[in-house]
Amino acid sequence: MDDLRERHLTDAELFGLAVPAAGDPEALPGHLSQCQACSRALSEWKNAVQTLAEEDLGALGRRSPEQWRAAEDSTMEAIRRAGRPRRAAHPIRWIVGIAAALLIVALAMPARKSAPAAGAVKSDDTTFSAADRADDALLRDAAFLAQGGDTGTDSIAEDSL
Amino acid sequence: MKRGILAVAALLCAASLFGQQGPAEGKWWKRPRIAAELQLSADQTAALEKIFARSRPKIIDLKADLEKKQFEYQQALEDERADRQIVAAKIEAREEARARLQKELALMELDMREVLHPDQRERLMRMREAWRQVLQERRRRLREGNLNEEAPPPKKKR
Repeated sequence: MDDLRERHLTDAELFGLAVPAAGDPEALPGHLSQCQACSRALSEWKNAVQTLAEEDLGALGRRSPEQWRAAEDSTMEAIRRAGRPRRAAHPIRWIVGIAAALLIVALAMPARKSAPAAGAVKSDDTTFSAADRADDALLRDAAFLAQGGDTGTDSIAEDSL
Repeated sequence: MKRGILAVAALLCAASLFGQQGPAEGKWWKRPRIAAELQLSADQTAALEKIFARSRPKIIDLKADLEKKQFEYQQALEDERADRQIVAAKIEAREEARARLQKELALMELDMREVLHPDQRERLMRMREAWRQVLQERRRRLREGNLNEEAPPPKKKR
């Protein structure tokens, strides 16, 4: 709270004060009594909120009895329509639906194909154990010796991987 | 001087062979970058591991035998009273041991190739060719004494 005394209120804080969540106004920070700018900003926020509420209320309040009846009829018609059984789908719709499904499957196939490989790579990364390292060195040394090398390990693998 | 030239020739020979020989990259199927490039599946990785496990004991023995033969040859060569025939026999024994190791590695590589799909084999070959170029370039710069010079990127063969 002391913090609020020293600095200006943010838009979020002002909005929270103008439109309290529970419907009851929150306790106003002491800063507002000292800061004209924040006090003015809060009143602007409150005015804006009030204007919007009045516009909504005004629109409803200006409705004539005929307009209310028409709105009621359209609502009832919508409810009746929702309750009715649907018409049988046209065969072309089925064909279009199946074609779309096949297209999605065809597009998804390459992604699925590469997914396990990516997983395998991840596991490889984590499973290069001490034993693997020893085997790795064994293979490289053996290859080096087999190819005519006489000493040590000199491999491209260390540099390229 | 002669030994230096021979050493460089041996290095270049080894470098050119790296492009074709798989085991020079160690357990390449376990290296994330290669596995990702080849898109190896878990089954393929397991199959490659199995092939290696089968060859591993032989490779250990053959490598040890070659090192032993190499040591015996060096001992014979360094002996001031070295007999020409004995040294020749040591060289033959060493090269036979080397050939046995080469054969085992090559057969293992052949079995591993069967696990890969044709496109994976091709990609692996391309990768090895690229590494070979990098290695050759490094060797060249090493010879010319400018190792810090930036190497040109390997040619892509797609």
